[in-house]
Amino acid sequence: MFLQQLLNGLTAGAVYALIALGYTMIYGILGLINFAQGEIYMFGAFVAVLLLGTGQVNFFVAFAAGMAAAAILGVVLERVAFRPLRGSHPLVPLISAIGASIFLQSLALLLFGPNDRPFPIQFNFRTITIAGLPLSSLQGAILVAALGLMVLLLLFVRYTRYGKAIVACALDQDTARLMGINVDRMVALTFLIGSALSGAAGIMMAIYYNATYPRMGLLPGLKAFSAAILGGVGNIPGAILGGVLLGVAESLGAAYVSSGYKDAIAFAILILVLLFRPQGILKGRGD
Amino acid sequence: MSAYFLHLAILGGIYIILAISLNLIIGYAGQVSLGHAAFFGIGAYISALTSLYWGFPFLLAALSAILFSGVCGLLLGLPTLRLKEDYLAIVTLGFGVIVDLVFLNLEITGGPDGLAGIPSPRILGLSFRSPVMYLFLTLFMVLLTLALTYRLVHSYHGRALRAIRDHEVTAQVMGINTPAYKVAIFTLAAALAGLAGSLYAHYITFINPESFGLHTSILALCMVVLGGMGSIAGAVVGALALTVLPELLRSFKAYQDLIYGGLLVALLIWRPEGLLGRGKLSLKFISRE
Repeated sequence: MFLQQLLNGLTAGAVYALIALGYTMIYGILGLINFAQGEIYMFGAFVAVLLLGTGQVNFFVAFAAGMAAAAILGVVLERVAFRPLRGSHPLVPLISAIGASIFLQSLALLLFGPNDRPFPIQFNFRTITIAGLPLSSLQGAILVAALGLMVLLLLFVRYTRYGKAIVACALDQDTARLMGINVDRMVALTFLIGSALSGAAGIMMAIYYNATYPRMGLLPGLKAFSAAILGGVGNIPGAILGGVLLGVAESLGAAYVSSGYKDAIAFAILILVLLFRPQGILKGRGD
Repeated sequence: MSAYFLHLAILGGIYIILAISLNLIIGYAGQVSLGHAAFFGIGAYISALTSLYWGFPFLLAALSAILFSGVCGLLLGLPTLRLKEDYLAIVTLGFGVIVDLVFLNLEITGGPDGLAGIPSPRILGLSFRSPVMYLFLTLFMVLLTLALTYRLVHSYHGRALRAIRDHEVTAQVMGINTPAYKVAIFTLAAALAGLAGSLYAHYITFINPESFGLHTSILALCMVVLGGMGSIAGAVVGALALTVLPELLRSFKAYQDLIYGGLLVALLIWRPEGLLGRGKLSLKFISRE
């Protein structure tokens, strides 16, 4: 029972971590919380589900297309709702992000309808037992895929020219510009990567819960934000750690404390973190 | 006056109080609350519960609502207002979700069914059951709120708050205790939202969690941004516009949230000062650094 809950928590946590990476990277470079991250997650899931529903493409193509669509949406969003507002009072892009989030959510509601859509293809998942641990192969696949994406991101940020340029922009935009880095392009690239990761997370959750619907991004988005704060906002390993810890805490809390308040656990943790360690577990670039 | 017009006028009055209270947070503390509907809801539920279970008369019930919402605002504001503006937005959003869950799960709040049969106000033997009387009561409360906020904004404290909003570090250097001011204004705003909630509960006489969700918080935010952040008259105009417009455009209903979301982004890009924002002040506020 305990181990099962732990595994459920790890799976949800890995997905929160993927979304939290988007928040934390965008926060790192722009100091902005992209409220529409949850809607990007929803959009990625919808594109994959709709493509698979046509029966024309296989799963991996649909997965990649979902990620790509989410990435494009992220870049468009940055261009339309954030770039014109750069340099204004921090409240302004924040409210703009909220507006964009509401807009995308209601657009999805109009386009796709309010009902849950099941995932179009059925996987034949078995439960395998590893060292006495009952692990459904679906959970295993999600964990492996999420972990793979995170490793790829870490390698990209640490070892490639573009990755280093993003870090440079996050540290000091003016100096980065003097070094010949195109800051606007790096901001767009950050949105591209963060949104692609959120899109992947959305598709994974669409399979895991077998449901895709317009408001699906709201709570995971908020929880992932809490996870980013928990780990230290602006800190990439922190986002991963925060996501996993939050997923586990939520799963155990729902099992042993109260399932009716499951969704409140993340926010209770958020408020506690802000009270006692606002910089997060690993020190972030936030206050 | 037709009954329908009266209904809109009363709702408009209630939303004016809500929008003014949110505008205190946005326009004077430079923060944004995304859970303002939670304070509105807390006010409505406390007012309804105290009058249903303890037989509180309206004024006492409203006072309890104001105090309770205010205390909730104080407790929420204390840990978060020391931090950057984004944190309050997220924490209040989370607070809204939690409060919604509490309304849904508690037995005393009636769960998803809510509370029915909330008594109409009776003050000094005078019944406010009829819409005309209720409109007078609402107008009185609106005037009270306007007088209070106007006095506040044009006092030493109001100037201190504007200084904090425009440049927090400079305000601090001038000897203003910025966290204390922000917590105080947030508490006051939560209390005023509680008053609006109390008026709402005793007017509609039936409440359930649906009226106090994220949708209502966003609506209040739109009212403030449309009217002009930092302008009290703007909050009044924004609240009235967004109460009346959806009623005029019936087919608008399905697109309501789509339009509100787009409106927020478009206003911030092309007219950040809103309809009535004082150009100079607001622009300075918008283009800090």
